[in-house]
Amino acid sequence: MIKITNLSYRYPDGTLALNSVNLDIKKGEFVVIAGKNGCGKSTLLRSINGLILPSEGSVAVNGMYTSDRSRVMDIRRMAGMIFQNPESQFIGMTVEEDVAFGPENLSLSTEEIHKLVEKSLRAVEMHEFRDHTPRILSGGQKQKIALASVLAMEPGIILLDEVTTMLDPDSRNEILSLVKRLHENGTTIVYVTHLLEELVHADRLVVMEEGRIMHDGDPRTILSQAKVTTFGFNLPPIIELSRKLRDSGIIDRTTFPLSKDELMEALCQLK
Amino acid sequence: MNDLFFSFIPGNSILHRLDPRTKIIGLMIVSICILQISSFSGMALVTLIFAAFVFACKLPLMHFVRSVRPMIIFFLLIFLMQLFFTEGTPLFSLSLVTVSYEGLILGTILTLRFVFLLIFAALLTATTSPSGITAGIERLLRHFPLRHAGISSHDIAMMMSLSIYFVPMLYDNFKNLRDAQFSRGLDIRKEPLKAILSLSVPLIGMSVRAVDDVAMAMESRCYQSTGRSSMHVLEFGRYDHLFILLYFFVVVLCLIF
Repeated sequence: MIKITNLSYRYPDGTLALNSVNLDIKKGEFVVIAGKNGCGKSTLLRSINGLILPSEGSVAVNGMYTSDRSRVMDIRRMAGMIFQNPESQFIGMTVEEDVAFGPENLSLSTEEIHKLVEKSLRAVEMHEFRDHTPRILSGGQKQKIALASVLAMEPGIILLDEVTTMLDPDSRNEILSLVKRLHENGTTIVYVTHLLEELVHADRLVVMEEGRIMHDGDPRTILSQAKVTTFGFNLPPIIELSRKLRDSGIIDRTTFPLSKDELMEALCQLK
Repeated sequence: MNDLFFSFIPGNSILHRLDPRTKIIGLMIVSICILQISSFSGMALVTLIFAAFVFACKLPLMHFVRSVRPMIIFFLLIFLMQLFFTEGTPLFSLSLVTVSYEGLILGTILTLRFVFLLIFAALLTATTSPSGITAGIERLLRHFPLRHAGISSHDIAMMMSLSIYFVPMLYDNFKNLRDAQFSRGLDIRKEPLKAILSLSVPLIGMSVRAVDDVAMAMESRCYQSTGRSSMHVLEFGRYDHLFILLYFFVVVLCLIF
């Protein structure tokens, strides 16, 4: 579904943000891209959305290359993107108008636009806020609206760029549940984060460092085997605890809990 | 921020239900009439029309006072300029200048004109949502051959819509910056120049970044200036036709007064 081949991207000031990145993402996968700030993960997401063009290599979404500008609208419709700051991605005066912005750009009929707006707002449980000004909503509600705005374009892939960074824990959990539900309904998820505790639902973890992919595979395998220092950032306490319990032989070596719930279940099974 | 001047007051009054285009055209006609009126009887008529609208729409009078308040110094300047620098029958003299009867009349009429222009504009914004105004302007601009000059009516409407959206955002950013600078000891009375610089420079930076982010969000959601559709259906109703008729009467009355 997404094929990235030898992708390099250099900013106009000469900084190399992506260095020969190769990545294949299949339909229906939930991929978490993690890494410390400045490792190139957001740049990678913007390359997939066609917002920036490769300096070298190629990015193809459903066989359409981002370098082919005649297909860029199709790519953006197929791969919707949500940004980190919910404040700066609103375009409409009201929640409803903001969600309608995408379908309006796709030249859909007024009737279709209203249907999509209703469906998307219900999907994120924000239909009661349709007449509100986005500005007055909480951070979590704003990010839900941003998600609804992307859903209104009926994408097959959703690209999320550190969408929970500015949210409180409750809002973060709500967004994660919504993302999980979308994934269960068949949407391909590419989720950029530096919070590893968020990858509990992921099928695959891609760890980036200095514009390169350092690890790519099953989250449990990577986190249980790779050295902490290779990630370039601290592991969440739950994962560190899981490692210590496993290394001490307290919990089963074949299991590696990634979340609080999984760890509790593993501990409850102790005899 | 909800009590900002020129803000929309949700409602279901006759003005609220009118097509935005009718109201925009109405504002243009009323504005031209106000600029033409040079008698107190004409001004009294305009006051009556305005009062009738405010009463019919049950709008708070304070909303219009708030719309005029930021411009009071400007109005005062206009009034004083006319009062002191219009030649005519002298009323009384101050050391260097003479106040004339004609100056007093002209100053009052001119000031009233500006006040009415502002409060009628506030009447439009109070009864029409910002998106309604931009949709109305966009539809009206479609009738002009702008595309031949490479200008899209969608682009103009989008620019207006974003400008309206950015005003409260700028205000919020300004308040946050001001609080941050004050908490670090900035005293606007002691160092006004430093205060202006320390507020304006980061505010410009923040605004440029915000514009860049919004542009990227728009691009990501397939923005195109041509061929867009709209969720708003604008249709002229019974009241719109009635108001168009009413505009003719207003023009006739304006010519009489």
